[in-house]
Amino acid sequence: MPITTTRRRLLAGSAAALALPAFARAQGAVKPRLTAISQWSAGSDGAAITALGKKFEEKGGIWQHSPVPGFTTEMMNKLRAQIMAGDPPACSQLKGPEIAAWSKIAPTVDLDAVVAAAGYEKVVAPDLAKLHKPGGKWIALPLQIYSTNMLFLSKRAMDKAKADKIPVTWAEFNDLAERMKAGGVPYPVANGGTRPDDGQKFEAALAGISPAAYRAAIMNLDAKALKGPEIKAAFVQVRKIADWMDPNVGAQHFSTNLKRFIDGDMGMMIMGGWAQGVLRNAGFKFEDFMIAPGPSDNSKPVFLLNADAFIFWQRKEPDLQAGQTLMAQLVMDPAIQTMYSQITGSIPVRTDVDLSGEGWSDGQRRTAAALKDAIASNQAVLSLAHNMAQENGMTAALIDVITEYVKDKTIKPEQAATRLAEAVEGAR
Amino acid sequence: MTNAVSTKPGRPAASDLVRRLPEYLMIWVPLLLCAVHLVSFSLWTIWISFTPSTLVPVSGWVGLRNYTAVLASRNWQIAFDNLLLFGSAFVLLSAVTGLVLAILLDQRIRGENALRSIFLYPLAVSFVVTGTVWSWLLNPGIGIQKLVHDLGWTSFKFDWLIDRDMAIWTIVIAAIWQSSGFAMALFLAGLRSVDADIIKAAQIDGAGPIRTYWRIILPTLWPITITVVVVQLQFAISAFDLVRALTNGGPGIATQLPALVVYDLMFQRSLLGRGAAAAVLMLLILLAVLLPYAAWRYVQKRRATHA
Amino acid sequence: MRELAPGRVLIYLIVSLIAATWLAPLAVVVLNSLRTNEEIAQGSMIGWPQHLAWSNYAAAWSGFCVAETCAGIRPYMLNSALVTIPATIFSTLLGAVAGYAVSLWRFRGDNWIYGIVTLGLFLPQQMRLLPWTIVLRDIGLINTLTGLVLIHTIQGLSFTTLFCRNYYVAIPHELIRAARIDGAGFFRIFWRIILPLSPPILIVTVIWQFTHIWNEFLYGVTFTNGQQQPVTAALIALSAAVADIPQHGVQSAAVIIAALPTLLIYLLGGRYFVRGLTAGAVK
Repeated sequence: MPITTTRRRLLAGSAAALALPAFARAQGAVKPRLTAISQWSAGSDGAAITALGKKFEEKGGIWQHSPVPGFTTEMMNKLRAQIMAGDPPACSQLKGPEIAAWSKIAPTVDLDAVVAAAGYEKVVAPDLAKLHKPGGKWIALPLQIYSTNMLFLSKRAMDKAKADKIPVTWAEFNDLAERMKAGGVPYPVANGGTRPDDGQKFEAALAGISPAAYRAAIMNLDAKALKGPEIKAAFVQVRKIADWMDPNVGAQHFSTNLKRFIDGDMGMMIMGGWAQGVLRNAGFKFEDFMIAPGPSDNSKPVFLLNADAFIFWQRKEPDLQAGQTLMAQLVMDPAIQTMYSQITGSIPVRTDVDLSGEGWSDGQRRTAAALKDAIASNQAVLSLAHNMAQENGMTAALIDVITEYVKDKTIKPEQAATRLAEAVEGAR
Repeated sequence: MTNAVSTKPGRPAASDLVRRLPEYLMIWVPLLLCAVHLVSFSLWTIWISFTPSTLVPVSGWVGLRNYTAVLASRNWQIAFDNLLLFGSAFVLLSAVTGLVLAILLDQRIRGENALRSIFLYPLAVSFVVTGTVWSWLLNPGIGIQKLVHDLGWTSFKFDWLIDRDMAIWTIVIAAIWQSSGFAMALFLAGLRSVDADIIKAAQIDGAGPIRTYWRIILPTLWPITITVVVVQLQFAISAFDLVRALTNGGPGIATQLPALVVYDLMFQRSLLGRGAAAAVLMLLILLAVLLPYAAWRYVQKRRATHA
Repeated sequence: MRELAPGRVLIYLIVSLIAATWLAPLAVVVLNSLRTNEEIAQGSMIGWPQHLAWSNYAAAWSGFCVAETCAGIRPYMLNSALVTIPATIFSTLLGAVAGYAVSLWRFRGDNWIYGIVTLGLFLPQQMRLLPWTIVLRDIGLINTLTGLVLIHTIQGLSFTTLFCRNYYVAIPHELIRAARIDGAGFFRIFWRIILPLSPPILIVTVIWQFTHIWNEFLYGVTFTNGQQQPVTAALIALSAAVADIPQHGVQSAAVIIAALPTLLIYLLGGRYFVRGLTAGAVK
């Protein structure tokens, strides 16, 4: 595999060079250099971006990455400061609708030619592609994909419930949770309680009940869909999930519960694919848990897309321009995406990468298969909780309602649905 | 200040001015820089609060729209109530804690140096660290409650962190832990500067220790109490990092505070105009507290001059 | 040695209880700094180390990676020192001069300017972030440590001026008057009379400024590039990995190392802190 992909990359690279004499000349004349800002500093995120930087240097480039540790907000503060100072980085991490929003405040690079040369558009999920070409032109490139609604099942909890069938629909999920409870699993759900975690519970519920309703209400903010019965049904399901959780988890990270999850004191977890890497890094074994796509009432997998990406900012310096071309080629390269995803536990953006080889886990293969099926049945939707469906302002307004509902059991599902619709109006 | 040495009244001669230029520079440049940055930053924020700015500052005029949006939001309403509760509870309790600690340390006890260091060391720790560590301790699933359960007392309950009504008190606890050492230091300073003769006289009159404190010593601490309140108030307003690390506004949005809302609107939600409006509202709250204090000081001073 | 009266015993008991409470968070961090990440992840946040994982300290000091840089907390400590030390010195000295001028050399508008400067204590940090961005851009100091020193010096003046002024107000004016009659000027008086009297309050402002600047995060990451970030950024890098197992062991060790300078300052200066406040803030 490495040989073929390398050759393919070389082909892609030379095709780009042929198609883009200007870029090629720039690249030949100067040493490509890239200034980049991201929040990826620690753990596998930090390791992956470091490996990407190494590849960039191997290609003769100068890699100048400035990690901004902390939350996305701090990274954005840094980016904003650089843009206001007239000195944007050549490329920076940004995702979802924020790409469109930020592209309005500073000029971005038109990547259409490089993307066309690499034939990238054919192998990217259409909903995802749209996010990265807000004005019809590619200005940003997705790098890796996670699903936010993977279902993790504890083997020991399954044993306690005397169950071996992975639940496919929400009814089956609820049934299994009850059986776990009856079988002596004190808390059938093992999620954490951070804001995104609460958001994930809701989006998994709604998209699992009806991907069409999710698309209309959450992605398109359709006023009628927001008042539809599916929203209320989703809140009912979220309440069930919340009631099966340990109330003591508070706002802790989901990883706090991993030990109890593996031990079978907690049964199921609806979490992004990254939880797999966390479990592995915490020293747990793959035999102790199972991974499957999250519940979907029509039995076809629903995929809540979360994709990290780089946006490219316009620079006049020839070395930075050459660096941007090189970076764009690297990010689209199947070998690089393979390397990156194998470090972080995500799956490649390219749908044509073969995950059967060594270095991929079952969870990743299942995620990739789910993505393919979901795209085929038009059930790949954009995650709200991870800022893919709406701009940050709207997202935060919606999550406010959801997290309050999860934490406050006196709020009725109808009330929550009304508040959600009001929050959309308030944030518009 | 009334008997301070006055510089020469009237217009100084040109040669005098040149000779004294260095001192004017040393006095005025830093003070002016500081004052100008405060005034201009405040004015800038006020201006932004009337613009439709989102990701970056832009010009334009939207009237009071940002203000009405902020005031109508649940986040702000909750934050405002919390500030009143947190502000008053924290300032009061940390002052009381500081006073109690100071009185205890003032009993000529052994190991005073060590104890003083113990009560002061939280001041050296960053808010983020304090918030993180207390979020471990106060979380019922992994902290104190779990520890007590593991020790055998399984009916023990201490779950304020996940209780919407009580969560704000966990912030009060962490903030008191971090900052009452400062109040203690100030009060201890005050206790140590009370005239020993007065205390002796009271004791000769047969006053017990409690009576001596209550009647003689504590009344002399009023001016310090004001300083303590001002410093703690400043702490309460800037307790942003602490809250972010401890509850991040949760459970749900039950522990929102104005500083959190300002940061959230400005940088998380990319609504600069609204965030600026929230910041201006926060400054107005502050002025509502500080102006009466300034007026009180003014009256006091006037009285002192007339006396 | 006197006999301990029951009342004294009670006092000691109360004091020790409170002291234990105050020490508990530190104890938890110290214990966690000696447990491995896996041990904490599989158990609880509070617990005895199974075996002492001193390697956490090695990793924290010079091992863990922030993206490409695998040098632990060490280079970030240096960055923080490069900002904190000059900014502390400048803001303290300028604040001392300003406090001296405001308290002992009345000049036109002094009350106004003093009032505004002290209001700075209450202006929230987050609100000043964007204006500072514009200012640093316009004077070309974005992404420089000099820019950070400038910010902290100017913002720090609010506190240092307030405390120095309150301290100097208590200095007998006859002292100054006599010196002036002898022909001493502004600086001479400051140098010869004021400064020698100042150590208690300067210790207070140094402690205060040092800890505040050392622990600052928001400006530290926004106005620097990767290699110049302060120690708080490295600490956050250890704590905020969303897609990873929290590195609580190394994180705790790093927290302790990063807090050592400020803790030492409080330990060594604690006694003078109270003394300085006795003379200073009490007015």
